[in-house]
Amino acid sequence: MIEFLAAAIRIATPLLFAALGGVVCESAGVFAVGLEGMMLMGAFAAATGAWGFGSALAGVALSLVGGGAMGGMLALVAVRGRADAMVTGLTANIFSAGLASYGLRALGGDGRGVAIHLTPLAPWPIPGLADVPVLGPLLFALPPLTYLGIALTGALEIFLRRTQAGLVLRATGENSDAVFAAGIDPLRVRMGAVVAGGAVAGLGGAVLVLQQVGGFTDNMTGGRGYLALACLIVARWRPWGAAAACLAFGAAEAFEPRLQTLGVPVSSYIVQMAPYVIALAVLAGLGRSSRMPAALGESLPFER
Amino acid sequence: MRPAAPVRLAWRPRDSAARIAAAAALSAVCAAALVALSGHDPLAAAVALAQGAAGSPHQIGVALNRATPYLLAGGGVALCFRAGVVNVGAEGQIALGGAGAAAAAAMWPGADVIAALLVASLCGAVWAGVATAIHLGRRVHEVLATLLLNFVALLGVQQALSGALGQKGAGFLQSPPLSPAFWLAKLPAFGVHAGFALALGLAGASSFVLWRTPFGFSLRVAGASRRAAAYAGFSRARTTWSVMGIAGALAGLAGGVEVLGVHHRLIDGFSTGFGFKAVTVALLGAREPLAVVPAALAVGFLETGGQAMQRQIGVPSALVVVIEGLTMLFVLAAAARRP
Repeated sequence: MIEFLAAAIRIATPLLFAALGGVVCESAGVFAVGLEGMMLMGAFAAATGAWGFGSALAGVALSLVGGGAMGGMLALVAVRGRADAMVTGLTANIFSAGLASYGLRALGGDGRGVAIHLTPLAPWPIPGLADVPVLGPLLFALPPLTYLGIALTGALEIFLRRTQAGLVLRATGENSDAVFAAGIDPLRVRMGAVVAGGAVAGLGGAVLVLQQVGGFTDNMTGGRGYLALACLIVARWRPWGAAAACLAFGAAEAFEPRLQTLGVPVSSYIVQMAPYVIALAVLAGLGRSSRMPAALGESLPFER
Repeated sequence: MRPAAPVRLAWRPRDSAARIAAAAALSAVCAAALVALSGHDPLAAAVALAQGAAGSPHQIGVALNRATPYLLAGGGVALCFRAGVVNVGAEGQIALGGAGAAAAAAMWPGADVIAALLVASLCGAVWAGVATAIHLGRRVHEVLATLLLNFVALLGVQQALSGALGQKGAGFLQSPPLSPAFWLAKLPAFGVHAGFALALGLAGASSFVLWRTPFGFSLRVAGASRRAAAYAGFSRARTTWSVMGIAGALAGLAGGVEVLGVHHRLIDGFSTGFGFKAVTVALLGAREPLAVVPAALAVGFLETGGQAMQRQIGVPSALVVVIEGLTMLFVLAAAARRP
């Protein structure tokens, strides 16, 4: 049982970072279709950073830069240039996949790709708490980036709901004219949000590389960015909700092989389909309800 | 109050062509810099790429076959974009089309190639219809509806391959080989399959419909100004349903043609990335079905050449994906500069 829940948390962690990054972007009114690319660039930067500098911390720092840079590009083209954010996001995903794959092979020098082997980050048991039966090993002996993810979720929830800056961010996603009238440039808010969201999503890539796989392979995010997008829709753009949605998906994914060993015929494909179907159902149920940032996907006017 | 953007119904070919050519040139320069950075000679890479793409009749045939699904699906996406419907659902529609063609070939006694291709386009159109129903019925943004349905479709095809459609004991997800009766005929030149000619014909037909028929006019008005379309009495629901249906059918056909023309069986992931690249091709083709032809050919030749470049001089073929992505980003950035 503990094993199962631990697996659920493990599957949920990279998704959580990407979903949080998406919450930041979409709260400011920019569709977060580029999460996959941000995550992948984060993963690539983390792998090369940790490998080149020999330190996981450098990997984490560079994953922020990698994801943030992809976010910056999206901010320039989709926010400042007013191109369609969705199409730009998709393009960024294609571009990132190519760039990471090219980079990996260029580092190898022979067209085959350099094999990066890193020791996955060990769990950090919290003294005292880790010895509590059941809860201890489950919640207080997690790898470092998982703690970071939980802390970030709480911090983002407080930031979005309880701070002035968070209010400005959400207002930009609801009604950019109101933000403009209050003397704040909505363009800057949105660009900042996409860069910050990209950096956070990049951390999700670092989780994959540094904490779970210990290396980098082509397209290693494998659609997790899109999945995170589904999760944040299911969560209706709330950080804790996103954490719950990611965890629920992690639990479903972790549960499925266990059911199969018991002889229950479940298909992993149907299980994997669930988050997308639920996300569509949530969207269909919402229509354009008040939970969704009202100005999501609307580009800013050129002149005022 | 800001002035409303002027409504443009005409296509200004020279304008977009210059912009797209500049974007392609700029991304080629970036790619050359990337090649130089990785310690290879950019000129040698370009030569290897060109030779790999068009060095022999066989290679040309491979490239043309490669361009076919992009041409079909990209043309459909271009029509959608013209009508102001941002359809990114081709990825799932292509996969379902391929599965539909394979299923028809394997399970429908008395079917022939034409029937299998019709089933393929029907599958794509139905899936596009599901997206449209969600979009129009529940006011879900069409990009989210089409994007999320992609993954449902892809997983559905995997489910079918692991069950009824799959080959038992193959080790990975694929169907048994299809009967040669269902293979697309080869054209006399370059060993290209008939799907390429079909795609060219459909691109011409789409362009004719877009520019020379009342229906095409209603699409262009809907894309240029929603309010003008409403004023002119063009129903948005009707335009959206029809253009999505056409795009879905074309995408499904792309999947069917790929399965019946190239692989002769349904393989898991046979169309990975095709649908997303169809969006690229549609925009590189300035959302004009005939201009999508050179865009799709460019992508097809680039990708075929990239493989050879990697084999011969060790420059990673992923460079081609970088070029595609960069060109698109430049096109998007340049197009958006004008309010």
